[in-house]
Amino acid sequence: MTGGGRLHPFTLLAIAAALPALAWILPAPSGGLAMATIALGLAASRGLRPGLRPAVLTAAPFWLFLLLLHDVPTTIAIGLRITTMVASFVWLVATLEPARLVEAMIAAGWSASIAYLLAATLSAVPVLKARARRIVEAQRCRGLSPRGGIAARLRALRALALPLVLSALHEVDERALALETRGLVPGIRRTPLAPPPDPAVEQAARWALLLACLAALARRFIVPRFI
Amino acid sequence: MSIRLLALIPVAAAISLALSAAVDAVALPLFLDTTGTILATALAGPGVGIATGVVTSAVNTLRNPTFWPFVVVQIIVALYAWVAARAGLFRSFRTAVPAGLGLGVIASLTSTPISYLVFGCTTTGGIALTTALGKALGLPPLGACFFGSFVSDFGDKAVTFALVTSVLHALPRRTAARFPWALRAIGAA
Repeated sequence: MTGGGRLHPFTLLAIAAALPALAWILPAPSGGLAMATIALGLAASRGLRPGLRPAVLTAAPFWLFLLLLHDVPTTIAIGLRITTMVASFVWLVATLEPARLVEAMIAAGWSASIAYLLAATLSAVPVLKARARRIVEAQRCRGLSPRGGIAARLRALRALALPLVLSALHEVDERALALETRGLVPGIRRTPLAPPPDPAVEQAARWALLLACLAALARRFIVPRFI
Repeated sequence: MSIRLLALIPVAAAISLALSAAVDAVALPLFLDTTGTILATALAGPGVGIATGVVTSAVNTLRNPTFWPFVVVQIIVALYAWVAARAGLFRSFRTAVPAGLGLGVIASLTSTPISYLVFGCTTTGGIALTTALGKALGLPPLGACFFGSFVSDFGDKAVTFALVTSVLHALPRRTAARFPWALRAIGAA
């Protein structure tokens, strides 16, 4: 596995958080350039399609809008910071397996409810989006026109959104019953089945990243010429 | 927190993210990305609302990392919606729409410093273009940035409040009564 896939999920999160933080804290443009290079390198390590391409495609519009609103030095300074943030998160999403994160959180003593919130939302979004598309088609079959003036469009929006939201709310009781039968009572501790290994060197690396961010922050406040 | 309220959070967060399909169908310049946060707060109070806002931002961040810094706006929205629910402002459109307009002002005041400092006012194409318009009108950089955020947030939050009001009134009383704040939010308790 390339690009950090073997690292502990907390280490991946620490790297993805530290790179943008340092890009903002270190002096521009050299600090931003260094962090953007590392972040793009990490994204590229996951391959062109899942890593580098989405990072570049997501960051590119920001450069365009920055050029529209700012001069070239400001565009470069802010653009490098945004590129670092985008590339490090794209790398994180391509590298981090949600199941390993859940196991790591449970092993670290986090409540199973928090892991449930993220996993349940991620699984509910595509279901509700598909339902929204079906409602749009059904309402069109009944003669709903989403065109015309603003008032007509707002009425059409209400006719589309209301069934979606109400049907989703009616599911809450079913979900609550399902959670209860599976014993997911808030505050309960679970035993992780296969917790990811967390070597001492990775724990030390996470502390080192935190200290690096704090040191860079302290230096920025002391040296006034930092941007 | 009860199991029902725990189950409500991912559903409300998913509502915020799935409504884009309905917005796309009517081609209106709206986000409605705080609908779940406001709805969860009106149904179950500020704790559930804030949790919904944070989960919405976290899941949105996995699609586009530029959403994460705006998690503060979701928290402010939840707190504002709680005040509105306590005051029963979801009782009719006549009270909900002005409350939504007020939230539009507060949300744009909250998002402007984030947008200005972190993104140079380039969070979306629409905001960048309206910020450029503000600059062309002679506004200072921060003022132009606020103008861009305000134009996008003002109407959006009013429509969101109106939509949540419609939902709360369309809920059967028996269902609404299962959530601790729902009846008070519509002025029925």
